[in-house]
Amino acid sequence: MSDADPLVLKNVSLTLPSAAGPVEILRGLNVRVGKGERVALVGPSGSGKSSLIAVAAGLEQPSGGSVELFGQDLARLDEDGRARLRRGQVSLVFQSFHLLPNMTAQENVAAPLEIAGARDATETARAWLERVGLAGRARHYPHQLSGGEQQRVALARALAPRPALLFADEPTGNLDAVNAAHVADLMFDLVAETGAALVLVTHDETLAARADRAVRLRDGRVAA
Amino acid sequence: MIPLSLRFAGRELRGGVRGFRIFLACLALGVMAIASAGSTAEAFRRGLASQAGEILGGDLALSLRGREFTSAERAALERTGRVSYAAGTEAMAEAPSGERRLVELRGVSGDYPLAGKVTIRGAPSLQVALAPQTGRGEAGGAGAVVEQALLDRLHLKIGDSFLAGNVPLTVRGVLLEEPDRLSRGFALGPRVLTRLDVVERGGFLATGLPYAETARVLLAPGASLPKAKAALNTALHGSARIRDREDAAPGIHRLIDQLEYFLGFIGLASLVAGGLGVYGAVNAYLENRKPVIATLKALGAEGALVRDTYLIQIALLAALGVAIGLGVGAAAPLALGAWVKDKLPVPALFAVYPWPLAKAAAFGLLSAAAFSLAPLGRARATPPASLFRSDLTARLTIGPEIIGAVLAAMGLAVMAVVTAPTPLAATIMIAGVAVSFAILWALGWGAAVAAGRARAFARGPLRIGLANLSGPHSAARTASPAIGLGVALLAAVVLIQSSLLSQVTEVAPRTAPALVFTGIPGDRVAQFDADVRAAFGQPLTPKNYLREPFITGRITRVRGQAVEPEKMPRQDRWAYDADITMSAIGPKPEDAGILIGRWWPGSYAGTPLLALDVDVAKGARIKVGDAVTLTVLGREIETRVAVLRKVDFGGFGASFPLVVTPNAFEGAPLRQVAIAKAGKAQEAAVIHALGHDFPQVNVISVREQLEAATDLFDRVALAVRGAAAVAALAGLLVLTGAIAARARARTREAAILKVLGASRAQILSAYVLEYGAVGVIAGAAGVALGYAAAWPVVVKVFEAKWSMDWRGVAALVGAAALFAAIGGLLAAFQALSKRPAPALRAE
Repeated sequence: MSDADPLVLKNVSLTLPSAAGPVEILRGLNVRVGKGERVALVGPSGSGKSSLIAVAAGLEQPSGGSVELFGQDLARLDEDGRARLRRGQVSLVFQSFHLLPNMTAQENVAAPLEIAGARDATETARAWLERVGLAGRARHYPHQLSGGEQQRVALARALAPRPALLFADEPTGNLDAVNAAHVADLMFDLVAETGAALVLVTHDETLAARADRAVRLRDGRVAA
Repeated sequence: MIPLSLRFAGRELRGGVRGFRIFLACLALGVMAIASAGSTAEAFRRGLASQAGEILGGDLALSLRGREFTSAERAALERTGRVSYAAGTEAMAEAPSGERRLVELRGVSGDYPLAGKVTIRGAPSLQVALAPQTGRGEAGGAGAVVEQALLDRLHLKIGDSFLAGNVPLTVRGVLLEEPDRLSRGFALGPRVLTRLDVVERGGFLATGLPYAETARVLLAPGASLPKAKAALNTALHGSARIRDREDAAPGIHRLIDQLEYFLGFIGLASLVAGGLGVYGAVNAYLENRKPVIATLKALGAEGALVRDTYLIQIALLAALGVAIGLGVGAAAPLALGAWVKDKLPVPALFAVYPWPLAKAAAFGLLSAAAFSLAPLGRARATPPASLFRSDLTARLTIGPEIIGAVLAAMGLAVMAVVTAPTPLAATIMIAGVAVSFAILWALGWGAAVAAGRARAFARGPLRIGLANLSGPHSAARTASPAIGLGVALLAAVVLIQSSLLSQVTEVAPRTAPALVFTGIPGDRVAQFDADVRAAFGQPLTPKNYLREPFITGRITRVRGQAVEPEKMPRQDRWAYDADITMSAIGPKPEDAGILIGRWWPGSYAGTPLLALDVDVAKGARIKVGDAVTLTVLGREIETRVAVLRKVDFGGFGASFPLVVTPNAFEGAPLRQVAIAKAGKAQEAAVIHALGHDFPQVNVISVREQLEAATDLFDRVALAVRGAAAVAALAGLLVLTGAIAARARARTREAAILKVLGASRAQILSAYVLEYGAVGVIAGAAGVALGYAAAWPVVVKVFEAKWSMDWRGVAALVGAAALFAAIGGLLAAFQALSKRPAPALRAE
């Protein structure tokens, strides 16, 4: 793994077309995330937090500026190249979990390991389910799990490949208070344990306060 | 180690195949149609092959027209194997009551049949039935077995006597089945079977009469069929038409080939129409799986892995759809065979045949590939950002999937052409389907755009209907082309059928003769004319009566070179590989149809001249001025072509493919043929009257033949319409698929409309309007395309008069609109059956 910072955004902008004309989502953003650093992205709805994650993780191409993951300029990679770069290094956790509905909890966790070609994907997945307290739910399908359980599976899936960078987009947004606290604790504990950098999008100031620093967004810009 | 894409595909398939019912049905339907057409045709081919000897009546059959085998020829035949002789001709049968009708009279030698057996009722065997009655002589007439139709028509029963021409015969049994009937083809009247010597004694085999003698040869075991055939051809100097057991019933083989292709083509068309269902189902499935695809990509999966994951699933489902189609397609002929086993006119061996099934499977898989690879390209191209923005769609770019789809479509077309009995016709048909499909698709898109514009001027339910019609999931773009293609096929069949039927039932009775008289003695024509005039009770004029000399002969040399029919295109050989009819006419007849050249003067006395039908001329590329040698009754006549003309064989005129100047047959007492227009009463009167003075003259009732043709045509058309309905069914499947794919969105839409205060009636009318419009567009466009396909077939191929079946057309458009509107009604009921609150919460 390179010594470069996990994430560097330079003057990133994102303009998307819409029926009513182009909409500027991100406007000249500069963000740097160091190794093992935990950064919270906070801001009101529509400020561009989730779009920032999509651009930073290479899921969306910016309209301007550059995105570097571990020193690699994403503009130089095609979509498959960006997918390969994410493998084992970058993981995502979503507000609506995005578990694969026809795969069991264990298969969901194993999926990124299998994609990366890991031979011990099943064993590793089983171990991670145990870590998140869901060993007994390994053969359950997502629809057989509660929201909190689904998000714990998603967390295990994200961390099983031991990524150097984890993006979490409102990971507790769809959960009740008890489950939200449980998932947040688990996420911070596991990130600390694996040494992964964390980019956390949240509305929750308490959760944001657990990060090393917070970046505030307003109208697609970093607020002063 | 199982590849990752296969593992992921297996996991994805755990969700079940619910969304793929239409996909499976569309594929299975087309494959079933092709498989059952192929399997049935193969069953008939095997059946014919297994009974080839019986169908031909031996290993070889040699036929001569207008003459008997010479003793030298008989000796050559009998050296080759066991021989049975039969002579067939038309004759008038007359009951003691005076009732008369045309029959097919056939005399057979004692060892008939050499292969198979004759089934009769009323006598223990054919030999017993035909044998001279011991001690009683043949005072009441020689023994004969006849078809039930003759007994019914002349009110006869077993034991009764009747005349065939002037030969007395006694009915000794009812003829149910002859082994070699199929190889002899169409008969103008009921069949009468008696001994060969009886036919010979009756004067039916005199020189110049239109009879045929056939020798059937059963070779010794182990003898070589090709060698025997070649040897006999040499011994008979090529004068006989020789068929062998490998080619026992060529006409039926051709008919089976053509029918198989036509029914298979309908199956192929339904695969194309159903292809939209396949396309729609794959698209809807992938749309539904978009979050999964995006998640897999977010987890690091490359586009190819995602594409392969879904490609494997679609391939497995396509294989399942094809397997269902093959299963039903293989089983249907078996069930049909068991049901109609004893009623089939052609022998059939129903079984599961691998080749037709393999062909159907290949068509099904190629069609599945052609219609599902393009949407699969979307799976590869789905952006992972759609996890954040659900409205993001994959942009379809040219890649391996599109190239694969194009190659599969080309493979489908090439295979359809290569497996066709007539590749040119197949190419035209395939191109027609492709062009129709493109037009229907474009029309669907156009209708959607027009609906989008029109909605600005509409209100209420109409506006909702138009908005849905113009939307991204508009049924005008999916179901409309599929239904349109089905309607186009049905419309083409209906319009061709109605035009041909009208030709047979309305046009032909007006323009064609009602009666044809053959075998009129050349030296008694004046008395014949007088008898006809008396029976008709009106003067004979060229408008209602024509009589000309008639003889058969063959074109043997053109421009001094012997003709070689085997080197000519198959469709042109008929005029060269057998005797054809000709006449000798002096002054130019009315409506001679001259295209090139000038008719000869009535008093012409030079080298015999020839007027030739252009279709006959085509085979040997004969031009005006060419020398043509005719062989008539063993005599060669040198002629020169003076006229090329277009003969209207269905009209009232001198319909002879060959006409020579009368001096070609100077002095020969040619028999004559006459045609007449007559009412039903005149027809009955003349048939009865001629029995006294001219028992040997055959009277062919064209009306009866037209009625028989209409009946046969109706039955064939019903079967063809049924087959074409398969393609329309594919269209309805696509409509069902389109409705099913939108069911959830419709439920939500209906819920929102209810929240906004719309009544159930308003929502129902909006959906009925929307789908009804789809049906009307598809129906009208389908009929227009069906018209475009049917018109050249009727006017150019069948040379018949175009007749528009407005009722049929209206029924088709109405049915398309009705079925589509019912679809809309069902969609509305389904959407309205859910309460608004849960439907909205579910989103």
